[in-house]
Amino acid sequence: MVTEPIRDLKQRDAPTPRRIPLSSPDVRPLLAWILPPLIALLLVAVTVELWVRVGDVSIWVMPRPTGVIENFFADFGRYFSEGMKTLAVSLGGLALGTAAATLLAAGVAHSQILERAVLPIAIMVKVTPVVAFIPLFIIWLGYGWYPKIAIAALITYFPVLVNAIAGFRDIDPRMHDFFRSVDASTWEIFRHLRLPAAVPYLFASLKISVTLSLIGAVVAEFFLAGHGGLGAVVWIEQNNLRLEKVFAAVLMLTLIGVTLSTAVFAAERLLSWRIDQPVSAS
Amino acid sequence: MTTTTTRAAPTAPLVIKHPIEPDAEPAVRLHDVRLTYVTKEGALLDAVDPTSLTIRAGEFTALVGPSGCGKTSLLRIIAGLTPPSGGEVQVFGQTPKDAQRHKRLGLVFQEPALLAWRSVEDNIRLGLQLNPRETHSSTDVNQLIELVGLSGFERYRPAELSGGMQQRAALARALAIDPPLLLLDEPFAALDEITREQMRYELQRLWSISHDPTEPPRSAVFVTHSVAEAVAIADRVLVMSPRPGRIIADIPITTSRPRRPEHEHSDRFINDTAIVRAALRSPTTTAVPLDAA
Repeated sequence: MVTEPIRDLKQRDAPTPRRIPLSSPDVRPLLAWILPPLIALLLVAVTVELWVRVGDVSIWVMPRPTGVIENFFADFGRYFSEGMKTLAVSLGGLALGTAAATLLAAGVAHSQILERAVLPIAIMVKVTPVVAFIPLFIIWLGYGWYPKIAIAALITYFPVLVNAIAGFRDIDPRMHDFFRSVDASTWEIFRHLRLPAAVPYLFASLKISVTLSLIGAVVAEFFLAGHGGLGAVVWIEQNNLRLEKVFAAVLMLTLIGVTLSTAVFAAERLLSWRIDQPVSAS
Repeated sequence: MTTTTTRAAPTAPLVIKHPIEPDAEPAVRLHDVRLTYVTKEGALLDAVDPTSLTIRAGEFTALVGPSGCGKTSLLRIIAGLTPPSGGEVQVFGQTPKDAQRHKRLGLVFQEPALLAWRSVEDNIRLGLQLNPRETHSSTDVNQLIELVGLSGFERYRPAELSGGMQQRAALARALAIDPPLLLLDEPFAALDEITREQMRYELQRLWSISHDPTEPPRSAVFVTHSVAEAVAIADRVLVMSPRPGRIIADIPITTSRPRRPEHEHSDRFINDTAIVRAALRSPTTTAVPLDAA
């Protein structure tokens, strides 16, 4: 908060805006943030390693963590390239689902009739387990990228829809009055008032849907195991009982998930004017 | 207020004109305008009784009355934001919708209502950006920012400013389109007393400055709770009765301009406020207690 300017501003130096720096050059807080989970993770790995070695647990039940890491790096090329496929499906679905949901929300925010017509269908699709559509999508869209992207899109659209509708409607009524008082068009009201107002809501929903899209991609890949992706790797290696490879693929999925979520958080801090919690998607 | 006059010194073609022009097209003409709400229970609620009113070009009119008396409703009817239930509204001889279309209305609300994601300067430019076909104002936004005392704060976000500064930005936004009619709905109600007293004289100064010589001198309709504020700034104080609102007194304030804060200690000011207060308390208005919401 800045205090009221004194009456004669010219005699004062123009104040420089004070902002909270986004990244602190001091790494100590970062270490304090990163070290505890890292140590905990290491402890779990060491415990499992000891359990497998000392207890002589069968490799068909639990592989050694060191073996998983070894395999992960030894076959890194495969996990990386299959991971890129999964990432492509996930991002494709996220883009499609988010775009469709945002467009639909824009319509719904402007029309009560459209809301009453469309929302029940949207909720019906949402409460139906999306996985059940996979066999249908394979029949309709062929054995390839499209059914996988469709599943990822279908699983992500609902949180975005709900949040975008809330965002497009969360406008200051007096601001709306101001826009009307200069005869602003519906498009101008959308472009300069509703859309920016919805940005924090959209980011909040992206935080949910980005992980959902990855789930959708992996589940779809189970069904289309011949078409690659980390889901397919997990499926195939599980059938071959090569658990080290299953775990290595899961590790790659974890890395992709962390990267995606971090990217959304970073984009939010960069692009959003307010940080929000998502509206409940129920 | 000496600094005020130096800052207002015309560096660009500023036209300072505030004499009322009785022969010009009136700024606002209401004929039998009334407003009736339908409540949730289905009952009819009269918010504004049939009201006829003419506000001349260049006239600064204050609208005072108890809470809920329909002051804001009347203002919204003039602005074309609430359609009246009956009667006729003309703004510069046009419908309020046409006045909106030609950007002849400058709105300021009780809360600043700025866009949180835009800087102060971009908020002020908003009115110029919207409906661009009608943007022919020669307003120099930088000069306007200086006039409202926000130089150096152009890149700040509204949340980084105090309430008074936010309201100045809102005032500048309304003035940026250089509207011949300012509509102000209790613009200083949310401010502290000291800022409030300052702002009424800033408003007087800003109201009197216009860039567009083709437009009539600027008029204003100023809704307020404060009798002192109304008498200090207006040419005319209209007193409304409690709901259903109706204008029960029309009191001219003839003190010459520019008015200064010292004037508020003069006998004339005290006398004028007494007249307005008496009208607010008059027997015709006290069927419902004045403090009733």
